[in-house]
Amino acid sequence: MTAETTVRRAGRKSPPPPLDNYVGPKKPWLNNERRRSLTGWGFLIPASLVIVVVSFIPMIQAFLLSLQTGRGSRLTWAEPLWYNYERMLNDEIFKLTMFNTFIYLIIQVPVMLVLAMILANLLNNPKLKFKAFWRTAIFLPVAVSLVSYSLVFRTLFATDGFVNDTLMGLGMMDSPINWLGEPNTARAVLILGLLWRWTGYNMVFFLAALQNVDYSSLEAARMDGANAFQTFWYVTVPQLKPMIVLCAILSTNGTLQLFDESWALTQGGPAYHTMSMSHYLYEISFQKNPNFGYAAAISYVILILVAILAFIQLKVGDKRD
Amino acid sequence: MKRSKKLAAVTIGLALPLALTLSACSGGSGGSGGDAGGDGDDNTLTVWAWDPAFNIYAMEEAEKVYQQDHPDFKLDITEVTWDDLQTKLTTLAQSQAFDELPDIFLMQNNAFQKNVINYPDLFSTYTGDAIDFSEFPSSVVDYSTIDDENYGVPFDSGTAISALRTDVLEQAGYTVDDFTDITWDEYIEKGKDVLAKTGQPLLSGQAGSADLPVMMLQSAGASLFDDDGNPTIVDNEALNAAVDVYTRLVESGVLVEVNSWDEYIGTLVNSTVAGTINGIWIAGSIQTAADQSGKWGMTNLPKLDVPDATNYSANGGSSWAISSNANTELAEDFLGATFAGSTELYDTILPKAGAVANWIPAGDSDVYAEPQEFWGGQPIFQEVVAFGAEVPSNNTGAYYYEARDAVSAAMTQIMGGADVDTALAEAQANVEFAMQ
Repeated sequence: MTAETTVRRAGRKSPPPPLDNYVGPKKPWLNNERRRSLTGWGFLIPASLVIVVVSFIPMIQAFLLSLQTGRGSRLTWAEPLWYNYERMLNDEIFKLTMFNTFIYLIIQVPVMLVLAMILANLLNNPKLKFKAFWRTAIFLPVAVSLVSYSLVFRTLFATDGFVNDTLMGLGMMDSPINWLGEPNTARAVLILGLLWRWTGYNMVFFLAALQNVDYSSLEAARMDGANAFQTFWYVTVPQLKPMIVLCAILSTNGTLQLFDESWALTQGGPAYHTMSMSHYLYEISFQKNPNFGYAAAISYVILILVAILAFIQLKVGDKRD
Repeated sequence: MKRSKKLAAVTIGLALPLALTLSACSGGSGGSGGDAGGDGDDNTLTVWAWDPAFNIYAMEEAEKVYQQDHPDFKLDITEVTWDDLQTKLTTLAQSQAFDELPDIFLMQNNAFQKNVINYPDLFSTYTGDAIDFSEFPSSVVDYSTIDDENYGVPFDSGTAISALRTDVLEQAGYTVDDFTDITWDEYIEKGKDVLAKTGQPLLSGQAGSADLPVMMLQSAGASLFDDDGNPTIVDNEALNAAVDVYTRLVESGVLVEVNSWDEYIGTLVNSTVAGTINGIWIAGSIQTAADQSGKWGMTNLPKLDVPDATNYSANGGSSWAISSNANTELAEDFLGATFAGSTELYDTILPKAGAVANWIPAGDSDVYAEPQEFWGGQPIFQEVVAFGAEVPSNNTGAYYYEARDAVSAAMTQIMGGADVDTALAEAQANVEFAMQ
């Protein structure tokens, strides 16, 4: 777009006026650089406004709500302001739901990430047959609605359900296990459901990251005498580090906010023993006597937990880079 | 690109999404506007209710009855499940968007106190003379009476029955009469006998569900709350007796616990158990097993071993409420002429939907007195309406669901071996905490 352009572009009758080549005492405010950045801002502002109005303003309102107490719509400022947060420290049921959610986090996320990595590595093998079929089959659970698969799992693990029938038919047990009636087995069923659903999702991320792994580095490792496991552990995984951190953060965020499975699969399980924090929050808001201030406080605690864990994971991930 | 083509492309690129968005917006608001009541012509009422085979069917029949005298009348019924309805009401009330409310909505009896106390702006009270509340059992009207004002017209009856398989009882040498007007101790003894002779338990229930203990509690005229609204989970003689009976039922095998609602219905339909104790609405589910026709009988509940114990109780039930955004005159007149005044309506809906009236005069009709083939010729509906008049009231209060859940959790722990007093004390502490 400089003055030297003499090639006529179709659609323009004359070359565009030069912006830099101005003769006169005052330069126009709108020079090239400013025009570009204004164009950029022009495209960003509508979307940003929407995000601020739809996400950030409600977040601030929720914070203000968490400083209020009262039932229903009769809300007043709390005395002292952080009353709801203090109350959470004494809430036995909340502590139980926090414990449950952390059990899911600690057991399910590492197992899922390892499984996803192994599967991605297997599927990355250039000599594998029917690759498209395997990838689709492992990813398909992600496309299933959360509520439908929870209900199906609930039916499968009922006392007279398919799993019990199969295990008894194979002679592995004498009497049916009450999967959803005992806290530990109910949590195991929920974790199994989560693994089934989300492994494919993370596997796709890892597959994508594996495409960027330099094949020559793998070859070099093999020539140096490394076996498959050593190649995987010492060559592939370090190159996957950013993707692992990303998947870990996403999984942590998702698991700490778990709701659908707790709601549809176990309905909070035997006496709150599989209920997640978000499910408890929903109960307080809509099923019990509405206590929206307290519910907002719980949601902020979840936010803080996610933020802390994400920060830790980022720090750990970055250090070894 | 040529300049004119570029201009055309940019114009379409801007105009098309804009047009689509505008049409989507207007379509969306038109749809939701259609749901709201209050505006719309004077002869239409909007209704929110759940269960097309039961509540909505009853409303449609009521519309036909009312149209006999008012031909221009119309109802606009939207199906909303109870969970969704409760969430919608809470959301609308919190955001003060009362003009989105329908004219009439259905509400579970247990939820009335909570909603009226928290969100009085959702409701209109029944002030006119169109409805005579003395024609309903006082225990049911009490659910929707707050500060001596009526907020609901009782609809489907939750009166509890003890349904029993007559063929299984016969095998063990009993009849339904042996189970009428008895105590829980006698019920457990006979239940053990039936179990020994036929191998079938008499009852099933969802594990950790407080339904049966709370039904027993209500049969003794006791509640989870006292008149001032304080929780009475500890030191509650009737509750202790109920928990004791429940524990003995499970330990002796007379009651088998299952894990979900579907499993519970399954035990009835698949003849795994020989009876159940629940609200009369369970008859609908039992009757889906057509091969069991003629093999069921029904009677009243056993009574607890406490003073003031009766053989009658209730579980659930719902009432019609009029919203604050309603054409109250028309709505009250409509409800008064149909659900509180028309035996014809109740006669129609009974055979098809099994919808038993709370309205006492309805029980006098011939349709109610008809022997029911499924129940071995017993006129169960007439008997249930008579039971309904005997049910003691109970206090629900705004924290009813907290108390119920706390008792459920306590039951689960007690079934798992915990000490009864400790578990109930913990339940009481949880409810008091939730009430802060």
